[in-house]
Amino acid sequence: MEHEKWVLEDPVLGMVFVGASFVIFYLIGWYSQRAAKSSTDYWTAGRSIGSITNGLGMASSYMSLATFMGVTALILKLKVPFVYMWIQFALSIPLITLWYGTPLRRMGAFTPAHFVRERYGVRTSYVTVFFMILIMVMYALGQMIGVAKVFEMLFGINYNLALICGGALIVGYVTIGGMYGTSYNAAFQMILMGVAFVVPLGAIMKAMGGTGWWFPPLFYSDMVPAMLEAVPDFFDMKYGFKWYLSLIPCFTLGAMGLPHLGMRVYTSANLKSARGAMVWFTFFCGIVFCSTYTMGFSGVYFQATSGSAIAPTDFDKITLILNSVYNPAWVLAFVIAGAIAAGLSTISANLMAIGAMIAQDIIATIKPDLSDKTMKVIGYLAIAGGGATSILIALNPPDFLVVSILWAFGLAGVTVAPLVMLGVWWKPANRYGATVACLVSGVTYIVVAPYFFPSIVVGGGLEAKVGMTGSLLCAPLCFFLLTTVSMITNNIPALMNRYDYKKDHVLIDKIHGWSDYSEERYNSNTAGIIVAAVSLFFCIYAVLPGGW
Amino acid sequence: MNSAYKKEIRYTLIFSALLLICGHLGLMFVAFPGLQNHMIFGFPSQYIIPITFGWLVLMAVVGIQAKLTNDLDDEIEALNAESSESIE
Repeated sequence: MEHEKWVLEDPVLGMVFVGASFVIFYLIGWYSQRAAKSSTDYWTAGRSIGSITNGLGMASSYMSLATFMGVTALILKLKVPFVYMWIQFALSIPLITLWYGTPLRRMGAFTPAHFVRERYGVRTSYVTVFFMILIMVMYALGQMIGVAKVFEMLFGINYNLALICGGALIVGYVTIGGMYGTSYNAAFQMILMGVAFVVPLGAIMKAMGGTGWWFPPLFYSDMVPAMLEAVPDFFDMKYGFKWYLSLIPCFTLGAMGLPHLGMRVYTSANLKSARGAMVWFTFFCGIVFCSTYTMGFSGVYFQATSGSAIAPTDFDKITLILNSVYNPAWVLAFVIAGAIAAGLSTISANLMAIGAMIAQDIIATIKPDLSDKTMKVIGYLAIAGGGATSILIALNPPDFLVVSILWAFGLAGVTVAPLVMLGVWWKPANRYGATVACLVSGVTYIVVAPYFFPSIVVGGGLEAKVGMTGSLLCAPLCFFLLTTVSMITNNIPALMNRYDYKKDHVLIDKIHGWSDYSEERYNSNTAGIIVAAVSLFFCIYAVLPGGW
Repeated sequence: MNSAYKKEIRYTLIFSALLLICGHLGLMFVAFPGLQNHMIFGFPSQYIIPITFGWLVLMAVVGIQAKLTNDLDDEIEALNAESSESIE
């Protein structure tokens, strides 16, 4: 079959829509940041963001350029199993809020690394900061490259120029706005991308003959019989138990370790507002996620029934292609602006996390006596520096940094998430256990990935490339090491007398809201033994052959 | 050990399990293949049930989670106030 490469026919309207959206982003960033009176305000938006705005912002940080582009390519490739991979991302904020979001908000943390520093000491925090910055750079890099490619397509300029101009525009508005600007911009971007994704999708479905076009997220069952006829394997589960199980350590736990998601909870006006935001998050996330499945479904349906073959290199542009076929040019321009907004919201959250970790978790730790004014300047420089570094790396990205963004989720799941979860809920967890667990499981995850040492790989295929096989082994490994090393070293007085571990225990009671201290709370060795035993079981299960 | 503490642990474990169920129904369909390919609302069961649970049921669970954990916070605050009064 002849594949026709898709090209954007009329880019002028797209330029107008994207240009106008950037003007609005800058205005929101500039106007919002005026409320930031101190460096704490700059990083946490004065802990003043309301629940609806924060819910929109949380959802927006999650909707990346992939929602408009990469995801549809994955649906064309994976079909229904992709839906399972995507559905569980909506658990992230509820699980973060439940396990550590509200305790860390109570503590007044800037980033999860801030908590790691208070709980496990400076050395352990440097290890986690290293992994977190690596994860955020990989994440931002993917978005930066994607936005540059859209700019390249839209303005007809070469990739490098598109990257430098687009990247500079993005870094500019994030630096000016700080967390205030990022939060209000993220809320606006979520509305923009939601409308730009869902409403044109309704028009596409109507043009395709779907009767449920008025509610695209769920009402397209009348297209199912035709789909089953054209693509009989669309609804097949395809993979084995291990594939579906590994979604938990790789993506659910991974999302819990992403610092830019946790940071959204810390901007809340209070704990009740943070929990309210979590409900709004699931609402907004659900609408866009379900519409993404519909878009993928429509893409596969279009590919199978229209007779026009899409070139495999254009699979990631299916949203744009469907809009160009079924909707007027101005709608396509609006969709492109929505796609750019999706990429921007994620990059801004990534840059805020990188900046906060450099300024608050590294510089402020080394030089704790700097004035607030100096810290604010350092904040601007940290974000601008992080952004400039991402742009420079994206000019000629090293292969190991452009591996799947999904792989970075797994890295967060095997290094950061277990430390924070057990740090908040289990007093016996100590800095020796945390350092060993984070380092060993992080390094093992990197070693068993197919990108670095191809001869040492756990599993193979797509599941190894996106980190599912590695995290099924390394996430339980991290829990196992953290619990066992902690329980062993807690009985070695020579090690425990080196620091005031009682202070760590008091911190745990405090962040859970207790004004008095009780040695009995969060202090069960039985719980530690159960976690260690279950983790060991899953470590062994992960390396057994088959099941994928 | 007071009841608020036990409640906190219980809520965390129960809601973690409920959230995981909402987002990972694929495991159930792959473990019990007999549940697959029943048409519900015009879609195969293994497609529409996880989507519905991953959005609408999840929203309901998260709403209840927010309500109960907010109430628990109030309970802990009341206990704190009680214990500080008794010290005075």
